[in-house]
Amino acid sequence: MNTRKWLQQAVRRTAGKHEQQVFYLLVLGVAMALIVGALYLVNVAGTSTIGRQLEALLLEREQLEQSNEQLRIHIAELRSVPRLIARAEELEFRSVTQTEIEYLYIAGYRVAEQQTVAPVEVSPLRLPEYDETLWGWIRQQVDGMFSQFETYNQLSSEG
Amino acid sequence: MVQKGIQVTDQQESLQARLPIVVALMAVVASYLIVRLITLQYQPDTVVTYYNRLASYNYNENRRVLASRGMVYDRDGHPLASNTVEYEIGISPSLVSSARDTATKLAPLLGLNELDILRIIQSDQSWVSLVKGIPPEDAEQIRALDILGLTIDSRPKRLYPQGTLGAPILGFVAGDDTILQAYRGFNGVEGYYEDELAGRVRDETVSKIPFDLPEIRASEDRGADLVLTIDRDIQFVVEAELQRAVVESGSTGGVIIVMDPRTGEILAMANYPAYDPNAFYDVEDPALLRNPAISDEYEPGSIMKVLTMAAALQKGVVVPGDTYVDNGLLQVGGIDIYNSDRLPRGVVDISQILVQSLNVGAATLSTEMGPTKFYEMMDAFGIGRATGVDLEGEASGTMFTPFDADWSESNLATNSFGQGVAVTPLQILTAISAIANDGLMMQPHIVYQVVDGDKVYPSEPSALGRPISAETAQIVTDMMVQTVQDGLDQAQVAGYLVAGKSGTAQISTPLGYTDPDSIVSFVGFVPADEPRISILVKLDRPDRYWGSLVAAPVFSRLIERLVLVMEIPTDEVRRGLTAQGGDVHAIWNG
Repeated sequence: MNTRKWLQQAVRRTAGKHEQQVFYLLVLGVAMALIVGALYLVNVAGTSTIGRQLEALLLEREQLEQSNEQLRIHIAELRSVPRLIARAEELEFRSVTQTEIEYLYIAGYRVAEQQTVAPVEVSPLRLPEYDETLWGWIRQQVDGMFSQFETYNQLSSEG
Repeated sequence: MVQKGIQVTDQQESLQARLPIVVALMAVVASYLIVRLITLQYQPDTVVTYYNRLASYNYNENRRVLASRGMVYDRDGHPLASNTVEYEIGISPSLVSSARDTATKLAPLLGLNELDILRIIQSDQSWVSLVKGIPPEDAEQIRALDILGLTIDSRPKRLYPQGTLGAPILGFVAGDDTILQAYRGFNGVEGYYEDELAGRVRDETVSKIPFDLPEIRASEDRGADLVLTIDRDIQFVVEAELQRAVVESGSTGGVIIVMDPRTGEILAMANYPAYDPNAFYDVEDPALLRNPAISDEYEPGSIMKVLTMAAALQKGVVVPGDTYVDNGLLQVGGIDIYNSDRLPRGVVDISQILVQSLNVGAATLSTEMGPTKFYEMMDAFGIGRATGVDLEGEASGTMFTPFDADWSESNLATNSFGQGVAVTPLQILTAISAIANDGLMMQPHIVYQVVDGDKVYPSEPSALGRPISAETAQIVTDMMVQTVQDGLDQAQVAGYLVAGKSGTAQISTPLGYTDPDSIVSFVGFVPADEPRISILVKLDRPDRYWGSLVAAPVFSRLIERLVLVMEIPTDEVRRGLTAQGGDVHAIWNG
């Protein structure tokens, strides 16, 4: 039975039951594959769209952060001390003098919080007693010589 | 028909004869492939990694993601260092369709010659960088041209909105985000706090597959912000006064440091000449990029007499009211020590060693103490060792002891009045501040807080030690007050008790002290009875020789301006407020 005849029979539903079952299974398989494919494509398209949107949002965030940064810099430049002084002079302000300042006593107000000081460990210099005699001078020279040997040995071992 | 049948038979025979050979060949090839596949499964790790990476290149891209660098603020929240981006414009000549048209469009925007651009586009290079440092607004205009083959890559750029203000404290940031040129801070807090400021640099793998969602970078990658102890207003006043002092005195340069002696906080640190960190690459002399306040060693001169006096009092070698005989000359270790005017003073009170700045008196104290006690005390004051300030590039100074080969007995005498010993400006101010702080020497520091996301890490005041007792500190303070009142009119400030000492140091050369110039300095604190600020003024090679004539007036002028900025009332007003129960000096150095 050629394919054409088999198909005609299958379509007419006149052929054998076995061929009919195979046909339906094939149709079902194709339909399932189409559905799965379509779902996959829909899902991928959705994800891709979200990805693109996210990328666009991230880019926008970056641009906004950059423009915020630029604005902060601009504000900082506008509020720099030389500009403030120039502006104050334009407005005919002048520097205050000590006699023009009045300090007030406010009960209970503390200028600065009490702070505890943490110690830092510093190993103090401990010098051997230097007696300023001839013997002391000789001892100093001998110690100096030995320290040179020690330094040389250290350098040799490191080298 | 028969003929045809014979032919078919021949073909079949031929096929049958060759088929085993073909099958055998295929079997051999298949066997080889199978064996190869099996051996591929059992490769060393390095080979496996290599193949994995090769495979990964097809659908992934490796990218270095820089974290946004942390900001730097002054103690009142004014930004001192910020971030921006600039762009690098490049072109891939092979992708450009119309070379002439592209060159015409780009030339005015890039500020380049049209012919030069045309020559680049017509070259056979794969990619050429056209220009760097394009600001964002110009980059947008270039992007709008929509030229195929043109690349616009952003590069981070550090920006210092206050210009030269506090430049040596801040340091600078160099490089870009390419691997060859690491983007990192140098000098100042930019260098010292590089790890904190830089944040977490990540090498991440980004998928090339279009439907893979992009990874959103975590905010914790960003570098931490630094809040400095520097007060922008004080820094501005100090820099202005220093510039004026250097210009008026004909000096080659100078340093001023302002510190809170109770906490060790550095309120201002100025150097002149200074540079603009926004254009550090234009600086011709690299030495200008350093911070002389912490990295330049010099002989402090007579300021050391304050430490010598404090050491002698602390060790009980002398007590207030003691006298000594000043013959105007003292021989120690084979050299002659003279007073600066070479005149004898006769029997004088030890306080006159500071008031009249007597070299013979200082040398007498140090020789009386002996080298062991003297050098132990100098070490306790931090002479000859780095302070540990949180700035990059600090020098440790130089102080020889009897157990150094370069030491001789004459050093004991000359060191007492600041010769033969080298210190940094910050070192000497830290030591003098200990006297202002009842003998407790505080760790100088520049960072007030580190702000990392929503976490704030304040820097606690810490003590380097107590070289002298509170009683000794009080005695030395009184002597420093007397020094200003009796011998340094130029340093006095109306309404305030000033404690201070001037210093004039000869400049050492390989041939000795043959340089006719001097380094002048003045160190002091105000108000002397309740110190709020300690200040060091140092000027290099001024026209006039003496520190009392050059540096002391600068100190006085600076104090006059700073007490207004810092709202420090006059002594009279302060005592009146204190009598009412006011608290203008609340800190506990327990």
